[in-house]
Amino acid sequence: MTRRMIIDTDTASDDAVAILMALQWPDVQVEAITVVSGNVPMEQGSLNARYTVELCGQDVPVYEGAARPLLRDVRYAHFFHGLDGMGGMNYPAPQRPAAEGNAVTELIRRFGDAPGEITLVTLGPLTNIALALNLEPRLADWVKECYVMGGAACTVGNITPAAEYNIWCDPEAARIVFHSGMKILMVGWELCRGEANLSEADMATVYGFNTERARFAIDCNKSAIEANRQWLGDPALALPDPVTMAIALDPAVCTRRSTHYVDVACDAELTRGMTVVDQLGVTNKEPNIEVCWEIDVPRWKETLYQTLR
Amino acid sequence: MPQKIIIDTDPGIDDAMAILLALASPELDVIGLTTIYGNVYTPQATQNALRLVEFAGRPDIPVAHGAELPLLLPLDSVADFVHGDDGLGNIAMPPPQGLPVSQSAAEFMVEQVMSQPGEVTLVPVGPLTNIALALNLEPRLAENVAGVVLMGGAATVIGNVTPAAEANIIHDPHAADVVFTAGWPLTMVGLDVTMQTTMTNDYLASLQSSRVGQFIFDITRFYTAFHRREYDLDGAHTHDPSAIAWLINPGLFTVETGPVRVITAGIALGQTLLDRRRHWLGPNGWTDRPAVNVCTGVDSVGLLALFKERILKG
Repeated sequence: MTRRMIIDTDTASDDAVAILMALQWPDVQVEAITVVSGNVPMEQGSLNARYTVELCGQDVPVYEGAARPLLRDVRYAHFFHGLDGMGGMNYPAPQRPAAEGNAVTELIRRFGDAPGEITLVTLGPLTNIALALNLEPRLADWVKECYVMGGAACTVGNITPAAEYNIWCDPEAARIVFHSGMKILMVGWELCRGEANLSEADMATVYGFNTERARFAIDCNKSAIEANRQWLGDPALALPDPVTMAIALDPAVCTRRSTHYVDVACDAELTRGMTVVDQLGVTNKEPNIEVCWEIDVPRWKETLYQTLR
Repeated sequence: MPQKIIIDTDPGIDDAMAILLALASPELDVIGLTTIYGNVYTPQATQNALRLVEFAGRPDIPVAHGAELPLLLPLDSVADFVHGDDGLGNIAMPPPQGLPVSQSAAEFMVEQVMSQPGEVTLVPVGPLTNIALALNLEPRLAENVAGVVLMGGAATVIGNVTPAAEANIIHDPHAADVVFTAGWPLTMVGLDVTMQTTMTNDYLASLQSSRVGQFIFDITRFYTAFHRREYDLDGAHTHDPSAIAWLINPGLFTVETGPVRVITAGIALGQTLLDRRRHWLGPNGWTDRPAVNVCTGVDSVGLLALFKERILKG
């Protein structure tokens, strides 16, 4: 049976790879892509998402959504993904325009039309989802399950010592989504580190597939690879969004998970966007989020490779 | 041409008075009511908005149901002790005949404003959640409204929920800060002026010669009893109708201009803090934020005369 999916994304390089994976996966039907401000301005994310869809020869509608966080000033990650968000590759403009309609109202409409049937995968700040929940709280029940690329579970962040970028960008939105009652698996950025990185040898393997998709997956990440090299002294490629998508496509990629009370720090600049996981249950608060702690690294990479060959 | 307005409202006795004043005023064209929690929960607000347009013989005015919760904070209680369990003074009004439109309040506002650029003024007289949501859905809203005139806040006087905060703002201070800093022409009609004008019981009794005036007298029995208990006042303060009075005749008010930020955490939660000085040693949270109008003085005699004149026609 085909699994139905909607992807919410701030499409820059690793988002594009994650979208590509879902579009290539045999038993998954991506019904819509909704775009949010995050890595790049929303309009650029929309271009990148549409380019990726067209590269895969598909016509999934791409809806434009929130152009800035709920309450915070807008910020981008050009330093990491390049000015175009696609490693400075300056891919040609997509053929098709963005779909008619606002991402937020479209999320409400599509999940409302098929309650309990569609999986949501979020790859960016949670602004669109929070807005949709504010307008229609029942959305929390309508989403079959939500895979969130975001946060850092009991570990360091990547934009501040406390916080991961997606959650940091719009911490209030994350707090709204995390407390909405939606069934969520949180996939923190730490899961794409270390062995889960694509090493130089892994990237050579991918190039060796000699497909347009394989070259695209590495090329569009050129800025990210360079940023990693300068920042961590590591020439490898970290792919947080594709790791999250791999779990959504093949849940067995996640090998250890458990449910906890998780809140998002919003009130102090030092900890802005920190995902505070009550691992020991000291708050006595009702668990609200399932946290992914470990992945099967070979299985994650094979999931990626399958979609690039 | 009358000024097109959308009243975002949590009716609410003073909301009812404001809506009826607007409907009785040829300067204003009420193109919709959008609803919010505050004085009552949002479902009751929607019922009451429908009741009011029907009572006023204007069932053609669309009513859009709004947010049921603040953006971030929980909704712990509503002001039923001020407005009655039904929000309209417990006078047993019949249920409405009509239904709200299918769009949410925020979507309705976006559609109306964007399809009539520069023509529509938003008049929120409750918590500001719907307005913040509309701005998030359509950031160009700020350049396309004619203006925003809101009842809420307390810039130069004490609050009415805490020493810092007025009720509408403290319900959703995060939304309020978004609205105050959005960079659109905004006027705050807050406690600074609304508590300067008292409608005494004699004044309210003098409205009874019209159908609308009789209704206002009836629904304010509960409201004035609250003011007697809480403020030892004969009558009631003039909250939401003051925002409509600004729209009809801004000359009734004196204003200060400057950026207003809303405090979103701590003991001053919900405070509307106006930068009344504008020059500081270094940059701060008010620096480079847009200036808004804050009403600080009102011609109460003129306002009460205006209200009475309009209501007696109804």
